[in-house]
Amino acid sequence: MKHPLTNNYRLLGYYALFWFVIGVINIVLQVIWYNVPLIYSLLDTGTNYVLYPLLGSSIWYSIRYNSLEEVTIGRLIIFHFIAASILCGIWVSISYAIFQPFITKEKHFLKDGLPPKILGGYVMYAIYLVFFYAVNYYESLKEKIKKEGEYKSLIREAELQALKSQINPHFLFNSLNSISSLTVSNPEKAQEMVINLSTFMRYSLMHNEKEMVSFSRELENIKLYLSIEKVRFGKKLNAEFEIDSHCLEAEIPNMILQPLFENAIKYGVYETTEQVTIKSTCECDGNVLKITIVNDYDASTIKRRGEGIGLRNIRKRMEIIYNQPDLMKITDHKTSFEVQLIIPQKQALS
Amino acid sequence: MSEKLQTLIIEDEELARNLLRSYLKDQPDIEIIGECENGFDGVKAINDLKPDMVFLDIQMPKITGFEMLELIDHKPHIIFTTAYDQFALKAFELNAVDYLLKPFSKDRMLAAIEKVKHHIQNHETNDEKLEELTNLRPGEGFIDRVVVKDRHKIHIITVDKIRYIESLDDYVMIYTTDGRHMKQKTMKYFETNLDPKNFIRIHRSYIVQVDNIAEIQQYEKEAYIVILKDSAKTKLKISKSGYKNIKEVLHF
Repeated sequence: MKHPLTNNYRLLGYYALFWFVIGVINIVLQVIWYNVPLIYSLLDTGTNYVLYPLLGSSIWYSIRYNSLEEVTIGRLIIFHFIAASILCGIWVSISYAIFQPFITKEKHFLKDGLPPKILGGYVMYAIYLVFFYAVNYYESLKEKIKKEGEYKSLIREAELQALKSQINPHFLFNSLNSISSLTVSNPEKAQEMVINLSTFMRYSLMHNEKEMVSFSRELENIKLYLSIEKVRFGKKLNAEFEIDSHCLEAEIPNMILQPLFENAIKYGVYETTEQVTIKSTCECDGNVLKITIVNDYDASTIKRRGEGIGLRNIRKRMEIIYNQPDLMKITDHKTSFEVQLIIPQKQALS
Repeated sequence: MSEKLQTLIIEDEELARNLLRSYLKDQPDIEIIGECENGFDGVKAINDLKPDMVFLDIQMPKITGFEMLELIDHKPHIIFTTAYDQFALKAFELNAVDYLLKPFSKDRMLAAIEKVKHHIQNHETNDEKLEELTNLRPGEGFIDRVVVKDRHKIHIITVDKIRYIESLDDYVMIYTTDGRHMKQKTMKYFETNLDPKNFIRIHRSYIVQVDNIAEIQQYEKEAYIVILKDSAKTKLKISKSGYKNIKEVLHF
């Protein structure tokens, strides 16, 4: 850490101002109240309130390399006593040298003034010590807080990264298998599916860089995802959307919907032999966008375990992004499963 | 081999079935005798048609390929197909059964068929392997459901419906909220694969669902019974180690 006075010019300014004011008060008092000749007063003030502050600023280095936590008290006291003695010695010597030419007659004044001056030097040293320790403490605290903030944002970033959904390998390999089949029976459709799959993958990779997207963009991606799954599941998968057009401008975390649909397919479509409808509705009022996704499921074959890892990750991601809990609501209607996302908006949607 | 290999395809996705069919089309010694879209139909088809060879998808609606294995009486040679299932793969590798990873090439599939033919020529069966496979499952956590077959009907019992399980030599009787079902499985299997927070082995012959216990009664010094929450107030014996298990789960 640098010297606080040279590192922070504002602090240096206050320091100079402080001693200047003390000095002026000293001169005024001495000259007017005690009738001290101006020249003596100036000498006294100069050595006490200019020279000492200059020398004293070096005390910083003595505390810098003697951290309170690392050094034993005994060593600390000895160290500072020696340092104080050296400083006082230098200070008194220089003061003497300055006084010498001006005081010709009453030399005993100098001698008489010596003990209180030395004592004052030690007291000042002690005050400086406290001051610098306080500054040091404050500076390290500030640094710690800053670092902590940095760590927190790093952790937040890492958490968000971890919570973002990855493309499910099961989905990928099944899609590739569908494509493999289509290359034999329907090459054009196979090509279309390769393109759809690529577009979807590109979007999902992009979300590593961008946190928020427009709802319309996210919706487009979901429709792409569903179109790929529809090739696999055929008429078993039926997706319906009821979207208010003025909600499309809303901002929404990237790839937050895909895991919900993946879930609906996994538990709804995949587990039955009948057609399953995944119905998505959305409404926006004021500063929130509400998206509701409902899918039927066959309660006789599966026991829903409430929140799986996919849903839990979304809940956490929402919590981190918006810093408020309960933005995802899950309702199990026994034959259908409902997930609602509440997405706060910075700007009101018109 | 003079006769054609009677082959059944059990696969829920139409495109995947199409692919298999197109791969098998020009194989002179293979005859596709049926195709099934789900596990229910699959069990019936295997038992009725008794195929030599089955292409069996693991992930299917209603019941999975693994659960099907527990329900079939006739054990054909099975080539498993799966897209991505770490637990299944582990099970396959442990048991050295043949499997195809989707998407697979025609050559890879033909190699698998060659192996099956080889087994048939040497009169090798894979009953034991399949048996072990069903015991290895589920791999991931505890089981959610149990599949059973009574005469011709397949029942899927979600574990929350199980009241208690009683051991009957090589079988177990599963008492559910709507009746009872026999299954060829060991008590050990249920003890390890049911969540011990919900199911307690109270006796060599009994596993009881915790929520189904009405009370525990002492009828002799150091001899206890549980009384269940049903209209008949079923009473089941508790063994010494069973009593310890109950104490652990219910914290008393």
